[in-house]
Amino acid sequence: MLQKPRNRGRSGGQAERDSDWSRGGNSGASRAGEHARARRDGFAEEAPSTSRGPGGSQGSQGARRSQASPAVGPRTQKQQELKVSELVQFLLIKDQKKIPIKRADILKHVIGDYKDIFPDLLKRAAERLQYVFGYKLVELEPKSNTYILINTLEPVEEDAEVRGDQGTPTTGLLMIVLGLIFMKGNTVKETEVWDFLRRLGVYPTKKHFIFGDPKKLITEDFVRQRYLEYRRIPHTDPVDYEFQWGPRTNLETSKMKVLKFVAKVHNQDPKDWPAQYCEALADEENRARPQPSGSAPSS
Amino acid sequence: MQGSTRRMGVMTDVHRRFLQLLMTHGVLEEWDVKRLQRHCYKVHDRNATVDKLEDFINNINSVLESLYIEIKRGVTEDDGRPIYALVNLATTSISKMATDFAENELDLFRKALELIIDSETGFASSTNILNLVDQLKGKKMRKKEAEQVLQKFVQSKWLIEKEGEFTLHGRAILEMEQYIRETYPDAVKICNICHSLLIQGQSCETCGIRMHLPCVAKYFQSNAEPRCPHCNDYWPHEIPEVFDPEKQREAGISKSNKKSLRSRQH
Repeated sequence: MLQKPRNRGRSGGQAERDSDWSRGGNSGASRAGEHARARRDGFAEEAPSTSRGPGGSQGSQGARRSQASPAVGPRTQKQQELKVSELVQFLLIKDQKKIPIKRADILKHVIGDYKDIFPDLLKRAAERLQYVFGYKLVELEPKSNTYILINTLEPVEEDAEVRGDQGTPTTGLLMIVLGLIFMKGNTVKETEVWDFLRRLGVYPTKKHFIFGDPKKLITEDFVRQRYLEYRRIPHTDPVDYEFQWGPRTNLETSKMKVLKFVAKVHNQDPKDWPAQYCEALADEENRARPQPSGSAPSS
Repeated sequence: MQGSTRRMGVMTDVHRRFLQLLMTHGVLEEWDVKRLQRHCYKVHDRNATVDKLEDFINNINSVLESLYIEIKRGVTEDDGRPIYALVNLATTSISKMATDFAENELDLFRKALELIIDSETGFASSTNILNLVDQLKGKKMRKKEAEQVLQKFVQSKWLIEKEGEFTLHGRAILEMEQYIRETYPDAVKICNICHSLLIQGQSCETCGIRMHLPCVAKYFQSNAEPRCPHCNDYWPHEIPEVFDPEKQREAGISKSNKKSLRSRQH
């Protein structure tokens, strides 16, 4: 019979092993860190390099912290790096599902006891996400305390051939709807959307061989992912809703890009729609001007 | 393969796109990794010479070091095909699965894992795994549901199914070797040649040492009289062929696929 796994003597042995993201109660953090280091030396070939010089500001900050809150203990540079690593992976995984990431969730599932240095951890995570992976961490809307990752690399058609998943819906149904909204003056009624999509063989009530459930996709999924805003129009009978671009759309794409997409579909030039072209140009100028709130996450 | 002090490499958009796309796969075979690498060069740096894959990956790994993750290369246990996955160096848990599976599903995986490690062949039967559903943590799971969860594990390449029995996918071994060795130190089997975790392999009937099939293939290559490296007794098992990527591609269907792998290892 299989021997029960040996308790490694870490604080909360079984729980520690089973818990995955929620390693929040880091009261044994420093002890755990040492244990981890000792264990890892036993498997030398897998050991990451620990030969780092004594942390400069981080080290002294840790020492200061230990005097202020002795229960937590000093945080070595390595412990902080591990936290940043956890945070980076958390953000990557959450963003993969296209769910905007709430600060509260970050604090609960990753940061835990390290709450006092959260702004620093987030800043370092953002830097790593940008440098290593090419993702920019931005706040969905100023002061919303929710974040998304914007890909700084332009998606390329051939990416689809080498991906392991379906990728973000930057082309396809979403782009069509975004295009429709923009061309119709930035707001469009739901009834208009379906009138348009019907012509392409997409119906709210019929299963689609590519998109599955288009109604759910457009009125729920894209809305939850913040690509679209979906609002009820008051005093309408029967009830009607209107669509606008959501905050993620403005961050991930632009009026000009969407106009170019629409033009390409029609085999025409963006300038063939002068009103929209002007609007797109103005939007480009706006984007070029430095943003007041900045895209780097603030504390 | 890793030096203890590595000069930190430089990330370019070629490397970033590679990383981004690699992460969309849980695990990827070497040939597809090379294809992915070529694609990324094509997008960003058409005229550059494509780095040798090992150097390319070492460069990325030297940057990933600060995040305690790395692109790890392994070899499938049954036919020695090289595979790659992005693995965590720091956590010793099954955290990568935690985001995709519920508590009771993770516990089912743990139960299957324990049966697999404990077994003589490296395989656990569906029946034995399903008999443990009553012991699972979290929401109560019926056997029918558990069958589907096991299939989910197969589809997401954590388990391999072969004739009603389950073993660990190469991906799981790459990701969880450290966790497994630390959690079950007395039950794990180790390969006598490469000293890594062994789930499937051959064993000497006299002294009991074990070897991975690809390790057997390499060790006994062109040896007419294979003998146990430990006790020198005649090695009684069929010696598999060393994996040859060229031959495999030409053949179309590899020998391993004929050996009834229902889910194609990727």
